[in-house]
Amino acid sequence: MKPTAPLAVGAHSPLHNGSASRRTLLRGIAAAALAAPAAAVLAACGDDKPSNDPNAPVELSIFWWGGDARAKMTEDALALYTAKHPNVTFKKTWQANAGYYDKLATLTAGGNAPDIFQIDDGALSEYAERNQTLDLSKYADSNKLDKSKILPGLWQAGVVEGKAAGVPMGENTPGMIYDKGLLKTLGLPEPTTGMTWDALIAWAAQVTSKSGGKVFGTMDPSADYKALWVWLRQQGKQLYDGKKVGASAEDLTKWFDLWKGARDTKAAPPADVIHGANAGAVANQLVVTGKAATSFMWANQLPELQKATKSELGVVAYPGDPSGQWARAALYFSIYKGSKHADVAVDVLNFLVNDVEAGKVLGTDRGLNANTDVRTAVASTLKDAAATAAQFETDLASKFGQPPTVPPKGHVKVRSLLITYAENVQYGKATSAAAADAFLKEANAALAG
Amino acid sequence: MTKNIARIAVLVVVVAAVLYPLIWMIGSSLKSPEEISNNLSVIPREFTWSNYDKGWTSLDIVFGRFFLNSAIIALATVLANCVSCLLAAYAFARLQFRGRALFFTIMIGTLLLPHHVLLIPQYLLFNNFGWINTPLPLVVPKMLATEAFFVFLMVQFMRGIPRELDEAAKIDGADPYRIFRHVIFPLARPALVTTAIFSFIWTWNDFLPQLIYLNDLSHYTVPVALRLFVDSSGQSSIGPMFAMSVLSLLPVFLFFLAFQRLLVEGINTAGLKG
Amino acid sequence: MQPSLAELGPRTDAGPLAPQRAARRRGSSRRGEATAGYVFLSPWLLGLLGITALPMIFSLVLSFTDYELLDDWSQVQFVGLANYKRMFTEDPHYWHSVAVTLRYALIAVPLKLAAALGVALLLRRDRKGNGLFRGLFYLPSLLGGSVALALVWLAMFSRDGAFNAFLGIFGIEGKPWVNDPDWSLSTLIVLAVWQFGAPMVIFLAGLKQIPVELYEAASVDGASRLRQFWHITLPMLSPVLFFNLVMEVIHGFQGFTGAYVISGGEGGPVDSTLMYTLYLYVAGFTDFKMAYASAMAWVFLLVIGVITAGLFATGRYWVHYSDGGDK
Repeated sequence: MKPTAPLAVGAHSPLHNGSASRRTLLRGIAAAALAAPAAAVLAACGDDKPSNDPNAPVELSIFWWGGDARAKMTEDALALYTAKHPNVTFKKTWQANAGYYDKLATLTAGGNAPDIFQIDDGALSEYAERNQTLDLSKYADSNKLDKSKILPGLWQAGVVEGKAAGVPMGENTPGMIYDKGLLKTLGLPEPTTGMTWDALIAWAAQVTSKSGGKVFGTMDPSADYKALWVWLRQQGKQLYDGKKVGASAEDLTKWFDLWKGARDTKAAPPADVIHGANAGAVANQLVVTGKAATSFMWANQLPELQKATKSELGVVAYPGDPSGQWARAALYFSIYKGSKHADVAVDVLNFLVNDVEAGKVLGTDRGLNANTDVRTAVASTLKDAAATAAQFETDLASKFGQPPTVPPKGHVKVRSLLITYAENVQYGKATSAAAADAFLKEANAALAG
Repeated sequence: MTKNIARIAVLVVVVAAVLYPLIWMIGSSLKSPEEISNNLSVIPREFTWSNYDKGWTSLDIVFGRFFLNSAIIALATVLANCVSCLLAAYAFARLQFRGRALFFTIMIGTLLLPHHVLLIPQYLLFNNFGWINTPLPLVVPKMLATEAFFVFLMVQFMRGIPRELDEAAKIDGADPYRIFRHVIFPLARPALVTTAIFSFIWTWNDFLPQLIYLNDLSHYTVPVALRLFVDSSGQSSIGPMFAMSVLSLLPVFLFFLAFQRLLVEGINTAGLKG
Repeated sequence: MQPSLAELGPRTDAGPLAPQRAARRRGSSRRGEATAGYVFLSPWLLGLLGITALPMIFSLVLSFTDYELLDDWSQVQFVGLANYKRMFTEDPHYWHSVAVTLRYALIAVPLKLAAALGVALLLRRDRKGNGLFRGLFYLPSLLGGSVALALVWLAMFSRDGAFNAFLGIFGIEGKPWVNDPDWSLSTLIVLAVWQFGAPMVIFLAGLKQIPVELYEAASVDGASRLRQFWHITLPMLSPVLFFNLVMEVIHGFQGFTGAYVISGGEGGPVDSTLMYTLYLYVAGFTDFKMAYASAMAWVFLLVIGVITAGLFATGRYWVHYSDGGDK
């Protein structure tokens, strides 16, 4: 494979040609870069044409992030599939979350994305709106992908601009995780699902004073998009309204002020302590580091947090009306649009999400199983904190509100902008109103593309 | 004598300040998971070796395998950099040819572009060569002196070698190849040792390219594997991560100690002046 | 263009040889030398043409387009200087990141170089135990951008960190350094200085190159330590000092790793550690604006290129080359 075309690029300066030829130039570079490997692959293995023989050997590449526990479960579930379909084998790649999206983006830009890849709602729209995911609608229509037992809201959470872009692999919901052990010691009541935001802050101020200022009553979640979203939903709004932020400047100012009040009454810790937890890493959460009595997380992270502290933890819904909460698709598996074995890949996803045996192997590692039958079968196998988290979510399910549409392209940027501007207020670098205005302006620009 | 004591005292104080964070890291690698996030002191409340055991064996593949992978890539890089950069540096530092100044400028220029924007185009290129999922993208560029840092380093060292030595050899009828072999190569040892040390350590710590080009767990290197213990969406094993981080310092530290000796053996140019 | 070797090199007395023959030999050796130059440079040239140049040109071309990560290549449009215009006129974070980078580089680079030179001078002699000390001083640099670093730094420089405990001994109340937007950049500077191992090793290697007899001669003449440092060590070390200066300036302005690791890739708190290259990375990979990131990268290259050229120009006045300095 000689990269002849790209080498010719340097020959004529790209800056002094007509625009048409410039466009073809760029296309030429990219086409040469992308066509070559495809040709090389074709040359390498002759069986690359999708054959009609269902028993022809197929190797699917699959890519996910997670720890070693997730890897073992996923590998076992895939081995089950291979046992049933000996002609299908898997090329498995897994890594930490750090650098995962850098790598996935690089592979995709190079036309080399894996057949199946794990993705979350931060990136799903980015990939789907840029046409990198296979539309699974027709497979769902022909029942090759059976969604009859998948909760409708979860399935919907994988639909971007009318195209089914991902199969939800699990469900989670926001959960306020609190330090049970500490409250027992202090002789204070535990927080409850349905308590108002103001009640939470008043309760938190008590915790702070009872503990002599050693432990603050609550984390300040003003930088947490989940908390803001739940709070907005309780007022009949959403975080996103199409490709715009669904909140007004007044809403946001009120939100920032609510937490400024909490910090002023020492219910919530000072900015530097909050900052440590804002990025969301489990090891830095305040219930783990012992700096506050609550952490605003996903309910299914309870076991993870419990592992990191000796004190017993519990979980309730975020404050306010629990209808602000919803069943969120925690993770999806998507299929690359350029996959040469799309039909087989779909069948694999169908197996992973709907097969009870596979579900038992996968457990609730990616959230509560999306298929309700599987969920019931798995529930009996859970222990300790995992069982607590699953029970909490199951109990809350009847109170859930309508799930919102999947976050649009630009969601990841909006998340980090919220952290930046909420922290501006926390550190006293900006007033609530100024931060609200600046956030809205930038977030809307990011959403508009 | 008092001067010496003062010197040692200064060194000890500075070393203590410099090493405290590392000692803290070792202390943390001996803490239990419940303690690691909420006890910031150096000394664990209860000692446990379990992090080392867990870190070494908890992944599907024994952690030693990642050490081996890193060592192979790092040693290949050392060799490639030492040879290719030395050749290029000799040309830049000692030989006259048309375009030398321009090439030198270009070489320095390649140091200046932030490498993140090169990730995608480089991937496209190596994809073209069919090198994806092999160590080739990590090693072949080094064989072609693409590490301008080391070329420039060696150029600066060579320019510290008195030219009288070359001239003397020239008068004896030596051509550039012989001058390289008999004059420059023996005297370039400090630069070569420095290049070897940095090549090894930087490759050992390099994360993103290794992550992008290696796909199989069995091919992963230490920095890629270390991150498997830390996952933002849960499943953090901070203790084993500290333990393996401490262990991963050992090979590079030993490499450094072994090689820095070569730096301190004095070089006496007088012998060459004849 | 360049003065020839014959003019620069030391005048060798060719003795009674016929001058014609000497000239002829010089001519043919000049040609042989040029050939040798290309031979020695061939791996580098191959690397440039085959590996380095194309991606660089590609990124330059991209900077004039609207390419976003994952876009279909056939949809990419040329947009002229739009990315550059946006950078300079519409993006508040851009100028903020420039300011952060300048603040960091201007303080971190001199401090790091001073620490490296000071320790190298302390440890240059071949004394017992010096090897171990060198190793200990180099240890922090071995950590590179390790994942452990972020947590180590938090333990040192957060509100309950070791540094504040140390200050507490003297009754000084500390700050939450890492988590304080007014101080977070300072902790990155401390990190840079803490990892002074690389320039230290280069200084050590450079000190080794200085012929011992120079000092011996100076001692015989009764020159003081200070005089020896000023008149022998500094000039003889200047090529290496120059190298360290140029590289640390380039690295200092790039300064990606520390900021990325310590701030978890975000540049926080409130963008206080949003270094230029970190912002570039976020723009390219988190916001998908790869064309914009490429434009940022090329502006960076031009500006640092000018600074580096300035260093090379001033270097002529203070860098002493033993080879007669023909560049």
